[in-house]
Amino acid sequence: MANANGARRVVVTGMGVVTPIGLNVPDFWASMQEGKCGVTALEGFPLEDLKIRIAAQIKDFDPKQRLRHFQRDKLVMHADRYSWFAAASADEAVKQSGLEFPIANPYRSACIIGSGAGGLVTFENSYRSLFIENKRATHPLTLLRIIGSSASAHVGIEFGIKGPTFATCSACSTATHAIALGVDYIRNNVVDVAIVGASESVINYGTMKAWQALHVLSPEGCFPFAKKRNGTVLGEGAGTLVIESLEHAQARGANILAEIVGYGMSSDAKDMVNPDIEGPNEAMRRALDDAKLAPSDIQYLNAHGTATTINDANETNAIKAVFGNHAKNLAISSTKSMTGHPLGAGGGIEAATCVKVVNENWVPPTIGLDDPDPDCDLDYIPNVGRNLDVTYAMSNSFAFGGLNAVLIFGPAPN
Amino acid sequence: MDEVGTKIVEILKKHMKEPRDDISLSTPLTDLKIESLDLAMIVFDIEDTFGIEIPYNANEDVEDFKTVGSVVDRVKDLMAKGPEAAGAKA
Repeated sequence: MANANGARRVVVTGMGVVTPIGLNVPDFWASMQEGKCGVTALEGFPLEDLKIRIAAQIKDFDPKQRLRHFQRDKLVMHADRYSWFAAASADEAVKQSGLEFPIANPYRSACIIGSGAGGLVTFENSYRSLFIENKRATHPLTLLRIIGSSASAHVGIEFGIKGPTFATCSACSTATHAIALGVDYIRNNVVDVAIVGASESVINYGTMKAWQALHVLSPEGCFPFAKKRNGTVLGEGAGTLVIESLEHAQARGANILAEIVGYGMSSDAKDMVNPDIEGPNEAMRRALDDAKLAPSDIQYLNAHGTATTINDANETNAIKAVFGNHAKNLAISSTKSMTGHPLGAGGGIEAATCVKVVNENWVPPTIGLDDPDPDCDLDYIPNVGRNLDVTYAMSNSFAFGGLNAVLIFGPAPN
Repeated sequence: MDEVGTKIVEILKKHMKEPRDDISLSTPLTDLKIESLDLAMIVFDIEDTFGIEIPYNANEDVEDFKTVGSVVDRVKDLMAKGPEAAGAKA
């Protein structure tokens, strides 16, 4: 059950998402097939002087309905919204996996659920009550809600996971780093099973002001690779996978959805906001090397595709550098055109997307792409998804700070 | 250079690693080695200093930020229109 490197093979047996275009994987997938856009008018708090007044918000998530059956974690209903999203997506993934948690030896399971920023909504509300409303104290659970490891702790408690449990934090690559670490732990026999992914829920007044001050948000919409693109749009949500060793999955007769055949990580080590080609290039190459695949073996690439001027042009150039002549044949899309930019959670939602692509042989579109930027001249699957035989799918995550992580998904082993 | 120009040059110099004394209205911002994040911080400082808001998106090339003089003109223009014209609903 080892791959060519002698390491154990890692498969996906469950996945869950919470997104603005679907609160579970089936609804999310159906929305992508319709090319649905999750970007809407910003709401839910006083907008005051905000200039950017759109976001991809989750508007109909009911924590009671999704989490009231939780048995071991008594506090989840009192957690921050980002932990709710993590818990709901993990619950969906666990149910699909058919695994009974806690597993027989709970020290052989890991829970790595990251977040770019943790409970920022709680943070803001607490500061408001202290500094504006002059309350004498914050809510007793404020600290527990805010900390960036609370989502992984909540999920770990509910599923009785006693092995490595922590959060990753690498801005927009957070989920992808979490998944890669989980893969590593299973390959190297640290654990047999891992719940991996990330969650994000930071859309509030202060976050909008902070992003607005960086001048990278679009006031109109998220249009990756389009000539008209003028910034990204904040989103929120969670994406989680249940992964296990091939041996473990086969021994229990699990329904295997896909194999994670490789990952690559790198850092530009150069600039906080201006990416270079070398870092993303290296992460993609390392993922291919790890998977022992040639660039021409990849049929679909889920791009980082944030719709900022710099990212999309740079990512196009990096893809060309890695894939050479095959770049033109590669089907590529940015599903952020539909989900907005879920920040740390992006790589988790996009990992679930890649698993579905490998399962369904249908690739989702980049919507809003009527007039492509001449600098983004690859096949970005404009506006309408299509049937395509996909054996291997790559998922790119590139973050502020130049932090790059890439995953490759392949078919379930026979 | 008038008061607005002088203040803007001071702000620019504050954000330069190696401040120069030869900055004039015709100096292109690119000559000052000002990069995207520097520009965001400079815009913030100018907004604070003059009590205005400058519409600016790092994803777009903006004529207003070509030279020191074009920044000064834009700031004066926004000051003349008053805080409401430059403000929240832009």
